[in-house]
Parts: sequence; structure tokens; C-alpha cells
Amino acid sequence: MDGRIVVGAFRDGGGENRMSELVRLTDVTKVYQGGITGALNGVSMTVEKGEFTAIMGPSGSGKSTLLNLVAGVDRPTSGTVVVGDTDLGKLGETGLAKFRRDHIGFIFQFFYLLPNLTALENVLIPAQLKGNPGPGRARDLLDQLGIIEVANRYPARLSGGQQQRVAIARALINKPMLLLADEPTGALDTASGEQVMELLGELHRDGHTILLVTHDAKLATRHAARVISVVDGKMVDDVRLESSERAASDVIRVRSDEASR
Amino acid sequence: MSLKYGVLGLLKAEPLHGYEVKNRFEAMLGGTWDVNIGQIYTTLQRLERDGLIRPLGGRGDRRKLLYELSPEGQKALDEWLAQPDAGPQQLHEEIYVKLLLATRIANGDLKGMLARQKRAYLQRLRDLNRLEERARRDGRIDLARLVRGALLHTEADLKWMDELSSERFGTEAAKTE
Repeated sequence: MDGRIVVGAFRDGGGENRMSELVRLTDVTKVYQGGITGALNGVSMTVEKGEFTAIMGPSGSGKSTLLNLVAGVDRPTSGTVVVGDTDLGKLGETGLAKFRRDHIGFIFQFFYLLPNLTALENVLIPAQLKGNPGPGRARDLLDQLGIIEVANRYPARLSGGQQQRVAIARALINKPMLLLADEPTGALDTASGEQVMELLGELHRDGHTILLVTHDAKLATRHAARVISVVDGKMVDDVRLESSERAASDVIRVRSDEASR
Repeated sequence: MSLKYGVLGLLKAEPLHGYEVKNRFEAMLGGTWDVNIGQIYTTLQRLERDGLIRPLGGRGDRRKLLYELSPEGQKALDEWLAQPDAGPQQLHEEIYVKLLLATRIANGDLKGMLARQKRAYLQRLRDLNRLEERARRDGRIDLARLVRGALLHTEADLKWMDELSSERFGTEAAKTE
């Protein structure tokens, strides 16, 4: 399976109007009954449109909780989460479900495909729920993701990498304003994981705003120019990295001052 | 020293003169190891003195003097290649010395120091990723492999900073004085 994607294949991310605010968390706290890990304690942050941001931290630090709050999958104990023009706290359950369906693409470590539906049918679910049952766009996405040939297979007959591509197509089907990825390479072998990350990089270059939760700093910094660190429910760092091209000798030295003997 | 064996390895392929050795060595290392021509000549002289290489043809213009590998040089090269890279681990960890000193100095800003170092390592990962991408694009798979090693080392450095960040400092200074 070829992991290469035609540049410009994904034009739905709205690359125009970059660096306008898309997500704003204000003093967000999440307390879990019984002291389960993953709580958040007073997190404030913004995400600009078109940014690729990695959220890193040890397990139980609250980084997945952060993603779930932005997705509207979970609600904060206190504080506000605004995505686009929508204050998620003002939505009821139905409104929140509709918001997720229409505006958020979410991919997970374990794909969460429905086993009794084909790849194509899995991709179509969010579109059908939205009232767009036509398979045209779903087929196009599977084609662009290099898995059109397995469109009619069931998930059990797909490799992990293929399943994650199906999940990515499903996440993109309704042209979301925000793509969230929670350890998307965590269940994949190195090569498949790198292909999935390449795809996310491609989507970012085409204008998508991406929030990635990962513990793999090597993969995170390949595409994300911004790294947020979360420890014990608190944001401890937020850094935007330089992306300029640098000479090999400025980046890595096998040896610089040889004292030959 | 591996410059010595790098030169032997290059001469195994074909006889070369000093400038060719320098250029090929630097090209092989993809810009990650600069040598000056003086080091090359010094190395060639020592290798000749030790009988590991020998001049080919007349000793006229020094710059044009070609060297070839001798049977002894071949043997030394083979032995070196067969040996694992053992010995103590080489660390160039200025940050470690900074930490040692900061724990001894009142008001040593350890958390801040670790956070700044972590950022530097993240930036290094970013730069290495870009370099790896470029190396692969240019078909320099050997350089990409080296960068991969550097990425893994830097990842370990980051984890080290994370571990240190979760520690409590300030009590050990007295014990180590």
C-alpha cells in the first residue's frame, strides 16, 4: 500500500484566514468522581486556525481529557470551551451531538470502526446522520487515502493502518473545522504509524487545524510546530518551534573537533 | 579514532590523494563531520609511518601523492570493523553539569532550567525531523539513518528531563558535598 498522497488532495480545511482563533479554553477544570486520573486543573489556551498542535504529557496527565472537552465529548466541571463561534457549555446534549457531528473530526488509537459495516459504510455514517447519504465524497476520500480497493471490506479484514485511514476518512467526511487525534499511531507498527502521521501532515498543509495527543515526541515534532505539555492536569509549557531549514552541520555532528592521534 | 579508519575505508575502494580523501570523507558524513586538510595529511603521514597505507607512484608533488591500502592496513580495517563500539558512553551533557551546580547553589532555578532544556530538545527534534525528511528526499538513506539515531537519542534526553522534572531537588546537595 502506497502511503503517498497527492498534494492538495484535501482542500476542505479552509486554509484561508489563517491565524484566527478557532479554539479557546478559559480556566477549564475537570474533576472526576473518585479521583480517577486525567483530571484538569485551570487550563487556559487558544488554538489558531490552521495550526498543528501536539499535546504531550505522561499517561493520566489529562491530555486526552483536554481533547475530549474540545470535542464536546465531555463537559468541564468549570470554565468555558469555545470552538469556532460556539460556546459548548451553552449547548444541550442534542446540540452538542450535532456540533460534534458537523464540526469535529476525531480519530482514536483503536479506530472505533463498526465491525458489521464495510469501510465505505463506516465512512458514510456521519454524512448520513447529517442528511448527505451520497457515497461520492466518501469514495473520493478513500481514494485519496489510498484505500479505495478495500472500500467494501469489513474492518476485521483490514490492517491497522488501513483501519486508521478509514477512520480518518470518516473524520473528514463532514468537512470538520477541527481535526482531533488521540494517540492515532499508538496501535500501529512504526511504518503504518509514520504513514498516518504523513497523512495528518498533508491535511495540515492543506489548511486543516489539528490537535494531536501523543506521547511520541519524535512523531509529534515531525509535523506539529507547537507543543503543549500537560502534567498533573496543568499546562506546564506551550512552545512554538522554529521550522526553518537548517544545514546538516547545524543540526547534527558526528564529530566537530577531531583530535587525531 | 575513526578518522583513521574512515581514511583506511576510503582507500580500500581505490587509491586517493589527500584532497580526495577529505572531500569523500565529508561527503560520506553528509556534512556532519568537518575535517581540515591538515588533519587529513597528518593522518595519512601516521598511517604511512605505521605501514597501514603506502604511497603509490613517485613522491613528487605532495598534493598529488596517491595512497593505497597495504595488507596490514586491510587487516587493521577488518579488525576494527569486527569490533563492537564498546567502552564508556560518551556524554556531552553540559546540562548535567549545570544541574549539579544548580542543586548546590541556593536559588538554583532547576524547574526553569529543565523546562528551557526541554524546549531546546523539542526544537532539536523538530530540526532533526526536517533533516531526515530532506535526507530521504535527496536519496541520502545513510544520512537518514544517522538522523534516526539522533532522534532516538534526543527522545531519551527529553525523557530524562521529564524524569528530573518530576523529582524533588534541594535535599541531596548536603550529601554530595
